[in-house]
Amino acid sequence: MTTSLKALTNLRWLPAALMACLAACGGGDDAGNSSPGSSAGLKVYRHSMDESPTSLDPVQASNVYANHVLINAYDTLFSYQYLARPYVLKPNLADGWPEISTDTLTYTIRLKRGVRYIDDPCFPDGKGREVTAADVVYSLKRHFDPATRPQGAWLWQGRIVGLDAWKEAGSNYDQEVEGLRALDDHTLQIKLVQPYPQLLDTLAQGYSSVVPREAVEHYGREFGIRPVGSGPFRLVSYDTARIVMDRNPGFRQEPVDLAAEGYDPATQGQYGLERIEGRSPPFIDRLEFQFIADASARWNSFTKGDEAQYTTIPNEQIDRVLTSKHPITLKPEYAEKYFFYAGMEAGFIFQTWNLLDPEFGYNEDPERERRNKALRCAVIKSFDWPARNDSFYGGIGTIFPGIIVPVVPEFDPDLSRVSVTRDVAGARKLLEDNGWNAANLPMFTFGTTANVLNRLMFEQFRAWLKDIGYPPEKVVLKQYATFGDISKAWKQAELPWVVKGWGLDYPDAENTLQLFYGPNSSPGSNDSNWRNPEYDALYEQSSVMLPSPERTEIYRRMNEMVIDACLTATGLARTRIHLWHKDVIALPDREIVGGFFLKYVDVED
Amino acid sequence: MEVLQYSLRRLVAGIPLLLGVTFISFLLMVYFGPDQTYQLLGKNPTAEQIAEIRAELGYDQPFLVRYADYLREVATLDFGNSNSTGELVTDLLARTIPVSLMLILPGFLLGNLLALLLALLAAHYRSRWPDKGIMAFSVVGMSISYLIVIIAFQVIFSSSSGLGWFPVRGWNVHSLAEYLEYVTVPTLATVFVALGYNTRFYRSVIVEELNRDHVRTARAFGVPPAKLLYRNVLKNCLIPIITRVVFTIPLIVISGALLVETYFGIPGVGKVTFDAITTGDQPVLKAVVGLTAVLFVLAQLVVDVLYRAVDPRVSLS
Amino acid sequence: MSVAATRRQSLWSKAAWKLRRDRFGMLGLAVVLAHFVAAVGVWLGLWATGWGDVAGGKWDSVSSEHWFGTNLIGQDIFQRSIYSISTAFEIGLIVAVLSTLLGAVLGAMAGFFSGRATDEFVVWLMGVLDSIPFYLLVAAIAFALEGNPWSMHVAMISTFWITTARLVRGEVIKLKGLEFVEAAHAIGVPEYTIIFRHILPNTFHILLVQSTITFVAAIKSEVILSFLGLGVKDGMSWGLMISESTFEVLAGFFNNFLAASVLMFGLVMAFSIFSDALQDALDPRQVS
Repeated sequence: MTTSLKALTNLRWLPAALMACLAACGGGDDAGNSSPGSSAGLKVYRHSMDESPTSLDPVQASNVYANHVLINAYDTLFSYQYLARPYVLKPNLADGWPEISTDTLTYTIRLKRGVRYIDDPCFPDGKGREVTAADVVYSLKRHFDPATRPQGAWLWQGRIVGLDAWKEAGSNYDQEVEGLRALDDHTLQIKLVQPYPQLLDTLAQGYSSVVPREAVEHYGREFGIRPVGSGPFRLVSYDTARIVMDRNPGFRQEPVDLAAEGYDPATQGQYGLERIEGRSPPFIDRLEFQFIADASARWNSFTKGDEAQYTTIPNEQIDRVLTSKHPITLKPEYAEKYFFYAGMEAGFIFQTWNLLDPEFGYNEDPERERRNKALRCAVIKSFDWPARNDSFYGGIGTIFPGIIVPVVPEFDPDLSRVSVTRDVAGARKLLEDNGWNAANLPMFTFGTTANVLNRLMFEQFRAWLKDIGYPPEKVVLKQYATFGDISKAWKQAELPWVVKGWGLDYPDAENTLQLFYGPNSSPGSNDSNWRNPEYDALYEQSSVMLPSPERTEIYRRMNEMVIDACLTATGLARTRIHLWHKDVIALPDREIVGGFFLKYVDVED
Repeated sequence: MEVLQYSLRRLVAGIPLLLGVTFISFLLMVYFGPDQTYQLLGKNPTAEQIAEIRAELGYDQPFLVRYADYLREVATLDFGNSNSTGELVTDLLARTIPVSLMLILPGFLLGNLLALLLALLAAHYRSRWPDKGIMAFSVVGMSISYLIVIIAFQVIFSSSSGLGWFPVRGWNVHSLAEYLEYVTVPTLATVFVALGYNTRFYRSVIVEELNRDHVRTARAFGVPPAKLLYRNVLKNCLIPIITRVVFTIPLIVISGALLVETYFGIPGVGKVTFDAITTGDQPVLKAVVGLTAVLFVLAQLVVDVLYRAVDPRVSLS
Repeated sequence: MSVAATRRQSLWSKAAWKLRRDRFGMLGLAVVLAHFVAAVGVWLGLWATGWGDVAGGKWDSVSSEHWFGTNLIGQDIFQRSIYSISTAFEIGLIVAVLSTLLGAVLGAMAGFFSGRATDEFVVWLMGVLDSIPFYLLVAAIAFALEGNPWSMHVAMISTFWITTARLVRGEVIKLKGLEFVEAAHAIGVPEYTIIFRHILPNTFHILLVQSTITFVAAIKSEVILSFLGLGVKDGMSWGLMISESTFEVLAGFFNNFLAASVLMFGLVMAFSIFSDALQDALDPRQVS
């Protein structure tokens, strides 16, 4: 015993143990079966993103990161055209457009035949079976089963006949739902409670990925890391730093028709996209996602040459990479190596008063309400959008009034810009006229998550408020450790001022107008807790209308009501400059669902 | 037999420690930790859905029930599935701990061995210029923040604006060559930072040993320096050194190298644990903390047994 | 005058003499004092009052108006880095004083009652806190205290007292056996009076050195904790400046990084050198 311990103490065993571990662990690290890297003759595309998905279960596809992976592992009934801007829907797993009854309440959707899931041990003989309409029904029902911890139910809540009652009755999958039925293996029927013009858009979300029941039951909670789908790629390995997917060899043959994908040679001709015309995706053997939170590390990895092949330009690099911002042009040394595409965010950044706040919010006393409203308006007037744009969004974001964002067709470019123009004198006068001074202004708590950029945003905001006479010591920062913690504060209406970004789920202004709809008040997405009967009536009226000039008219009236109410400092749509290596044939984008271009990526040999 | 009996006794004596660690960390990380409910909500939730999620996560259970559940989980080493991804926690750890080990071990070994060499050198030339030089270097090393070193090394060695010799980040290891590529820069940063601390520590231990009477006597009797160093000094220094090394191991295994992993994007256990804290992924947290406690009890045992092996005067009773 | 008091006095006067002769040590002390003066000026509102104002453009370079340039939103980096000196002293002093006090009291009690329940409890507590990885513990405390501005201090104190307590415990066990303690026992001096009046003063050299080490450790930990989003909540600090700089350095903008890291390096190094000199001067076993 003693001798062997002596041998241990002279530490010679350590290097040997290290090598042993290397041999053993090194093999274990590779979850895949094929050899890595492009050296082995594989076509690899390496995509980089700033965050990793938390779960790959479609019911939890709440963010763009998860969607990037999900819609490439699974099929959705509908999808967005690869190249059309603004975004246009197209059938995907659906075999053509649905039949819609004249009252627009019943949708009959046919599925493509012969589409198969990948081979996986969850199937009885390990062979992937055909995707059926029953799978679609099952996949949507999962959002109404609390045990799956679903996040997408809001898309269909109160919309589909019998679905909410199905949940009330205990979410038993063997029970039929009247409004969501598979008529046969390849026909799905959806019955709506009232017209829902955005229904087909919801069926293009990562949330609506079509999953096989066998996989959910076989993997249990681990289903979140083992997608079993029928999409163009199959998952090979998944950790918080990297996801590797290989092409799904059994993916259906669907030659690309560029015209049908919305190809515009005038603006998109330089990317070499013609080379995928008539060929069936996927074109690459391996799709790799690298999750790099730190922007400078992401940039280093991208410019290195043999690592990430795609990045967005980090805000702090914009001045170094561009020669001009309007229009956006790259410096020659970058233009030589990389393609770029400047895409406007489908969404916006805005800051909203919470009217339930006792100090700043709506007050029953009309006199106090008059003063509070003046204070709310004054703070909004102090907001310096161009400075915010310059500091945090590279000076290339688009500032616009109201809540109808520029990427949707209902956007009105001629709207008055007074609400996004800084007016220090006006703000000071408003405060003065309504009896506000340094002594009686209330304490202003600014809540953010603990991160250094948010902190600088706070300091900038505090400096603006100082300009209108708000003492800096009365503007205090409250930091929340996690996004979950600050969401909780929002949902419980604890903060007077909510700073938020909203990404569109589908390209329809309804998606942002609902942010001020009374019944969506906290804990819903209406953080302002504004309840205006006229606005709510207009929302209800427009929400069942198909796109039309009348609907646009209503949308715009609602937009003006929000602006006039001094509710929110809005808004800015960020522009992301996507850069990719010239040997990659693609038009990258991350808006709307996110990542649907990945199916079409090709890499030059 | 004696050793075995002793080990068992020590293990039993470790139970209070285990209970303490699990209780404190349960209280801090689980009971008062971040509430994951609001992270798992959809965009437009209702109050009812919020209650459903809380029930799903078990937040509505009383404190004691949750703590008892936790102890059962530690005892059976079955921590269930991660709340975020749904991956089995044991799988998650089995995947990430080897990565952290491979990442840290080279730096750990080099940092200690080099420091030992420098310390011997410094002790040998005590109060003369090599000693002063080495000590000045170690103070400088200790005064630079680890974070600054990591940022600077990444720019210098990996970025295209620096030397660009190594991958900027990541961990794509399938062969020895790839391993060396990815591990070098993190190792350099770790060694650079650890060297200052370790050298000082080892030097003070060695100097203290050199001042002991038996060493002075041996020197006076003309025992050759190399023999003196090996037989009288190094062997007696082993106790503090072993203590330091062994107690660092549980920390490496479990908490990994959080900063290095975060900055270099390496999927080790440090990053996973930190993410679990910030998102409130309790099954992962519970496992990490429970395992650290278990490893500490084991480390204590190992140290005690090693003491005995090194220094027969220490009795096992 | 008691034997112990005489012994103490000679130790201190000898140490002071030795310290004054240590040129590096005194240089270190001078640098620390210079930083301290800067901190006092901030507390008195003499300078760096405009650290929060937006006074320039984005990333202005060095000029007579902005000595270290400006940051992303146009704040003066010089004023921010000077203001951060006061933050560093606040953190360092609070953490060093409180954790030394806590370590002294618990360590002395454990040492004096060694082998008894009090000792067992303290040793157990030290073992428990040692077994939770530092950053995990700090993160956990920070989250448990939900945005409380003192969470970082609490977290540091709850781990930093342990080393001091270990050293004091060992020293007290040694002192306990000395004649003057046994004499005090014999004439019926109450136990707590013995601990706090007779034994603890004899560990002051350890406490002094330990508090300087803790001071440095606190400043350095702040940087990393602030980077992780667990650090300073209110005001400005070097850690926050360095985290600002993590996304600036690769864009070729180094002012934040340099201002914060050079000032911090200066203070930490000077303090470490001073701390070493102090240790040398106070160590009775030291052979030169």
